[in-house]
Amino acid sequence: MIVSLSRQAPVRRAKRRGRQWVSIIALLILSLVYLAPLLFAVIVSFKSQLEVSVSPLALPERLQIENYTSVFAKMNYWRSLLNTLGITFAVAVCVTLIAPLAAYPLARISNRSTRLIYQIFAAGLVIPFFAAMVPLYGLMKTLGLVNTYPGVILIYVALNLPLAVFFYTSFIQTVPRELEEAAALDGCSPLATFWFILLPLLRPVTGTLVMFVAMSVWNDFLLPLVFLFRAEARTIMVSVYSFVGEYGFDPTSLFPAVILASLPMLVLFAFLSRQIVAGITAGAVKG
Amino acid sequence: MTWKPSTIAFFVLPALAVYGLFVIYPTFSGLLLSLTDSKGVGQGQFIGLANYARMLEDSQVRTALLNTVIYTVLVTFFQNALGLGLAVWLGNMPELRNSLRVVFLLPSMLSMLVVGFIWSYLFSPLGGPINEMLQALGLGSLKRVWLGDPGIALFSIVGVHVWMYLGHSTAIFLAGYLGLPSELRDSAAIDGATGWVRFWRVEWPLLAPATTVAVTLTLLGSSKTFELPFVLTRGGPGDATMLSSLTVFQNAFAGERFGYATAIALVTLVGVVIISNVVSSALRRREQLI
Repeated sequence: MIVSLSRQAPVRRAKRRGRQWVSIIALLILSLVYLAPLLFAVIVSFKSQLEVSVSPLALPERLQIENYTSVFAKMNYWRSLLNTLGITFAVAVCVTLIAPLAAYPLARISNRSTRLIYQIFAAGLVIPFFAAMVPLYGLMKTLGLVNTYPGVILIYVALNLPLAVFFYTSFIQTVPRELEEAAALDGCSPLATFWFILLPLLRPVTGTLVMFVAMSVWNDFLLPLVFLFRAEARTIMVSVYSFVGEYGFDPTSLFPAVILASLPMLVLFAFLSRQIVAGITAGAVKG
Repeated sequence: MTWKPSTIAFFVLPALAVYGLFVIYPTFSGLLLSLTDSKGVGQGQFIGLANYARMLEDSQVRTALLNTVIYTVLVTFFQNALGLGLAVWLGNMPELRNSLRVVFLLPSMLSMLVVGFIWSYLFSPLGGPINEMLQALGLGSLKRVWLGDPGIALFSIVGVHVWMYLGHSTAIFLAGYLGLPSELRDSAAIDGATGWVRFWRVEWPLLAPATTVAVTLTLLGSSKTFELPFVLTRGGPGDATMLSSLTVFQNAFAGERFGYATAIALVTLVGVVIISNVVSSALRRREQLI
């Protein structure tokens, strides 16, 4: 019995390792195929117009940097980059300030009104933007906020609040109350306790949330298309869209444009992929 | 700590005011707007339920609502089925797990607009890379007019959506899978449960919390898709890829039928709320069985 076991074990192990290798190679091929559309976009962005039409699948003979430089100017890249950055920054600051402020009593006090307010915020998680878009347009017109930065910032803040309040409330519920109670004994007001004790503890949630806000604002298209369409205020995605509308679907200008527009988020992802994964998977494991 | 009602109000009010004014108020004022023939600014005439009656006659809207259901169901099913399979595969590959999880998340970092533009080129019928590639592989008979054929255009867009967000479902299922207690798997192995049996009897039921999160997020996310059909097909050919969000947009901002567009949006919203509630409460009940 013992003898036969020791004879078979190496064979089984070798078989298992062989299967593991097949699996690894298959996965690597699969991920290459998965990324092929993106690789393709990058390759085409460096080709000349002639190469694109004659040999669509071949590599470029020479990197056409001009593709990028000409797109740069035509889509007013820096201006729309700054517009988007400014809006993203303002939204992130507002959300990470007023959402934890609201979440604090919602997490600490359980009575009928706090539960109702929490429910109202939670309802926002299922309301898609396009459902509120048309009446919202009327409201923004009345308030004179169509085509203004504050108008778009306020809408983004409002749209991001449900998720933010939800995140902060569930996080604060896991923070022990002792610190706050000690602060209260020392005569700290709730606002001072919030600012000096709680807010620093919330930094991990705030970090995750800022990333989500940045991604949702940066990659958004429908909202700025409807509410911020004047040329000099355009966000990056509206810039790409109007650039393509003006210069057509020529791949040698389309792909540099979409790559330039996506680059900041890809850089962010390169540096913070672990935090982004943590944010996406929050709630997947029963806590 | 003692909380005075005025303190609570002070804390909650800023968020509640912004959210109430720019999300809740428009959603509910939409109810009134949908009962008018408003063409933009101004009140419009009260016309009762005429907008809702008109939807029943409007074949574009009926198609859009049906397409939205088909689209949401297909994306939710395929994104999560493939995501689950990939997650289990990656879960057993500790060497590759972290780097490939990032690879599969890459497309979801892009804007849907950008993804739409990239695929509009890949799908192009003449000289488009997909058809060229099929030709080069000797599969020329599989060449299609991917976005121009009313029979397959919607499925092409579903494919793009699944490609874009597959990494999300994979990441969620993978987190759930890695969170399974390892003793459980060992004891299942001792009981002789291996491979498929072990997966379906032991692991799949334990992935219930991850399933709830992944399915609910996919459902809500895919039901509001706008940019993909907007860029790829404009809802065509005919109305083959018309979705609710797109018909709302077109009725409001191209047709200046604000009242009507709001009625369509509200019907969609009610549908989404009902379906997502039914699905997520069913999934949560499943979690209780663990």
